[in-house]
Amino acid sequence: MPSWPEKRDVIGQRVQRIDAPAKVTGAAKYSSDVQPDGWLYGMIYRSRWPAAHVTRINLDKAQQVPGIKAAVAERKGERTIRFYGEELAGVAGTSKQACLDALRVIEVEATPLPFVVREEAAKNPDAPRVWPEAPNLGEANVKEKGDVDKAFAGAAAVVEGFFTTPVQLHQPLETHGNTVSATDDGVTCWASTQGIFSVREGLASYLNVSQEKVRVLTEYMGGGFGAKFGPGTEGGLAARLSQAAGAPVKLMLARFDQSLAVGNRPSSFQRIRLGADADGKLVAFDMDAFGTAGIGAGTSSAGGGGGAGFPAPYIYTVPNICVKQAHVAVNAGEGRAFRAPGHPVASFGMESIMDELAVKLKMDPVELRLKNDPSKVRQKEYAIGAERFGWRQKYKPPGSSPGPVKVGVGCAGATWGGGGRGTQAEAQINPDGSVEVRCGTQDLGTGTRTLVAMVAAEVFGLKPEQITVKIGDTRFPPSGGSGGSTTAASVCPAIMDTCTNALQDLQQKTGIADARGANWAGACKKLGVNPLTAHGRWQEGLSSSGAGGVQFAEVEVDTETGFVKVRKILCVQDCGLIVNKLTCETQVNGGVIMGMGYALYEERVMDPATGVVLNPNFETYKLPNFADVPEIEVILMDMPERGVIGVGEPATIPTAGAIANAVANALGVRVSSLPMTPARVLAALGKVKKPGASA
Amino acid sequence: MNPFQYVSPRTVDRAVSLAADRGRFFAGGIDVLGEMKEYIASPPVLVNVKDLPATRDITMGKGSWTIGANVTISEIEQHAELKRVFPSLQQAAAEVGSPQIRNVATVGGNLAQHSRCWYYRHRDIHCLKKGGGTCYAQDGENKYHSLFSGNPCISPVVSNLAIALAALDAKVAVRRGKEEVKLTIPELYAKAWENPEAHHSLGPTDLILRVQVPDDGRRSAYMQISEKANFDWALVSCAAAAKVDGKKLGKVRVVLGAVAPIPYQVQAAHEFLEGKELNDDVATHASEIILKDASPLAHNGYKVPIAAALIRRTLRQLVG
Repeated sequence: MPSWPEKRDVIGQRVQRIDAPAKVTGAAKYSSDVQPDGWLYGMIYRSRWPAAHVTRINLDKAQQVPGIKAAVAERKGERTIRFYGEELAGVAGTSKQACLDALRVIEVEATPLPFVVREEAAKNPDAPRVWPEAPNLGEANVKEKGDVDKAFAGAAAVVEGFFTTPVQLHQPLETHGNTVSATDDGVTCWASTQGIFSVREGLASYLNVSQEKVRVLTEYMGGGFGAKFGPGTEGGLAARLSQAAGAPVKLMLARFDQSLAVGNRPSSFQRIRLGADADGKLVAFDMDAFGTAGIGAGTSSAGGGGGAGFPAPYIYTVPNICVKQAHVAVNAGEGRAFRAPGHPVASFGMESIMDELAVKLKMDPVELRLKNDPSKVRQKEYAIGAERFGWRQKYKPPGSSPGPVKVGVGCAGATWGGGGRGTQAEAQINPDGSVEVRCGTQDLGTGTRTLVAMVAAEVFGLKPEQITVKIGDTRFPPSGGSGGSTTAASVCPAIMDTCTNALQDLQQKTGIADARGANWAGACKKLGVNPLTAHGRWQEGLSSSGAGGVQFAEVEVDTETGFVKVRKILCVQDCGLIVNKLTCETQVNGGVIMGMGYALYEERVMDPATGVVLNPNFETYKLPNFADVPEIEVILMDMPERGVIGVGEPATIPTAGAIANAVANALGVRVSSLPMTPARVLAALGKVKKPGASA
Repeated sequence: MNPFQYVSPRTVDRAVSLAADRGRFFAGGIDVLGEMKEYIASPPVLVNVKDLPATRDITMGKGSWTIGANVTISEIEQHAELKRVFPSLQQAAAEVGSPQIRNVATVGGNLAQHSRCWYYRHRDIHCLKKGGGTCYAQDGENKYHSLFSGNPCISPVVSNLAIALAALDAKVAVRRGKEEVKLTIPELYAKAWENPEAHHSLGPTDLILRVQVPDDGRRSAYMQISEKANFDWALVSCAAAAKVDGKKLGKVRVVLGAVAPIPYQVQAAHEFLEGKELNDDVATHASEIILKDASPLAHNGYKVPIAAALIRRTLRQLVG
């Protein structure tokens, strides 16, 4: 079995992204920057009804708008619309304004249907059905073990709670979209995607052309968070508009559209009961939960994980459990995989009830976790983190901090799979010593391109900037989608194998025993005129799966205004062999910031009366700004013996739970719904006036 | 947006006459362009008022300061002398939007901006404020809405500057028809209290020219609470101003923002505070007087304790 070199010169160092200068100067062309000759703007006409039966779509007037080159219905014939913003048609034209004008003259004949957008209301058997053939509330998945009733009866401490999490929207800075040139000779798609091969597969099947005719390119893209694996309805429409117009069509969603139809993290409503013996050992867990993934359970999104289910009792082992989880359909855009699908939801509920138990048992929350967490790695991380954070000095009984602005601390843990396999790659060594490494992966902003350069540089004894990395093209050897924190673990071993093969070839061909480093230029020169190419693939032994991670949060809460300020997050994270320490920390920072947004700000707001998303913009769908970001300290556990694992997701999992526990510790009461806005904090403190009450 | 004509007059007379046929005035553009992009407003003509004479200066006069309508929010934020004389105004400016917005948004535009209610701003909702029959916020998602209103529209005033300027007893010079009128801040918004379609008292061709702020030696303070630390609208804002003699208050104003269609103040509270030495009980009692008539809806009751806290804190800051 291959292994990583014992002595590593490049791997594990802090290496600035090799494409940083291109990104900072604007030289890097993102998918949304691509402008092939003769390209047209594309836009989507969306349903204004949350539910309706559409009998006719008339595009005649749209086609006559000056500058409009094509208008197509999303599908033929009558159809039922199930959420506000569902795609009905597309237009392509020579300017943005022409498209906007065309959208305003499309005529749709439809009969509005009753709808429901709230989970609690949709559960009601009398609620309008999202899908006529089945009630909105699906049958619960039930998981049972042991004898819960008996275990609760014998438990020394029992706590109960009801926790809710909102629908969170994917908000990558680059919205969903593609530029597609579809001709009889073939289809080229510049996609903002996490999976070039899944986009190719989707487009080929949508257009009914052979896959070899479809080329997908993603040189640079601006984030996906799990919602950008397939071409999407927007990609299919762009392709058909391109065919109809005979020109490339760029169809990037507006921020408004982004909030409606391209995925979200499902909500949850979790009723939890937890019992422990007098020593704090968990004995019984009982959960009744539901949540919505909108009109679907996310099944149609590649990458999976878009459903409303989540792991419970999450990272803990409890001998007696009864878990019931159901999905409730509402008339809203469907869920898709969202950075660690299910896990932040699970962590928030479970870690919250753990702290309630700690309070009831008068036990330190870290101690309670050490008693019950089966993971040796997390045990170690709690110990390291608690020491570094100053947990013993900082942890005080709940609500005991003096004054109106109260300080509190909390912690929470995470688990994630990571790992990955299947990538292939090729390396070309040129006689002048230059090196190209080609791989059909894509960099969704995590620094994949730099990892490829680092692994190649390690093998060749060169510097990362001496390696030319070519990725993001379905003409290169295949790699998987960048999801599930699998990219690094899938790509790095393939590069290692490929470059090892290339080095062996070079040494064999030139007769130079060690062509690395100082000998490189001389060896390459001996190649003569033709370059050398070598192939390789992912190999067992260079990667594994299973990342943990724990986080500690320190907050201050203004009990008069309800404002929560996060002072500090400390993250102790393992992810196997660390390839690039710098981008690994960056991933953790991003995960923490996203987790903080989930904890404090983000929430899709649906209007029950009109069925629209009320906050389809950054004005009222609130994301963290730099001013909100606390001090983030990252302690990475380098575990080279485990190979590469991946870190994109685990770091966003425990943040909300840790912050919620810190807020509860500060206040002495729990804010059991996310996001913890001033309104919810004040409500938890019993300070909010009820409607109609006089002052 | 729909096509429009763009004109840049050099005189106020000309600006007013160009706006006469359903035109809209245009300065920083932050507000009006947002409405146009969402097709909430489709004026056939945009009258650029940035080139009008004498509208870009901050000047100290005898007993008062004059701020031109085209002064940007950043210019107020960064004006050292204004910050010393009217700290509340500087703080209110610093809390507006983002640096990019503050660099182009103007005083006139900030005062005349339209509702940010998410029903009003939604392209596919025809609400009471847009001339429809229903205020959807009343029984809907009203966490950002008013605690007080004289009409069924409960979208609150969100101009930070208006709150600070109301406490400072500023007057706004407005070109109305052929003449120039001077409106108090309460007068500038009075119509929004009673008329659901009004954002303020200005008619379509009424043009804000400048703001006059009396420098009568009063201290002032402004605070707001938002859901985020910055670049966010106030959930509640509060400005206070008073003459302070030791701890004794005189000529007191306390004004709340984002809780009513107008900058909200209660005369009885001003009278109660007049001549009082400020302590916690006095501040609390003042907040109770101001919030006495609050009528919380399903989701905005939390604004009451925030408002009470901000009233106490701004008053405390005056004497602190």
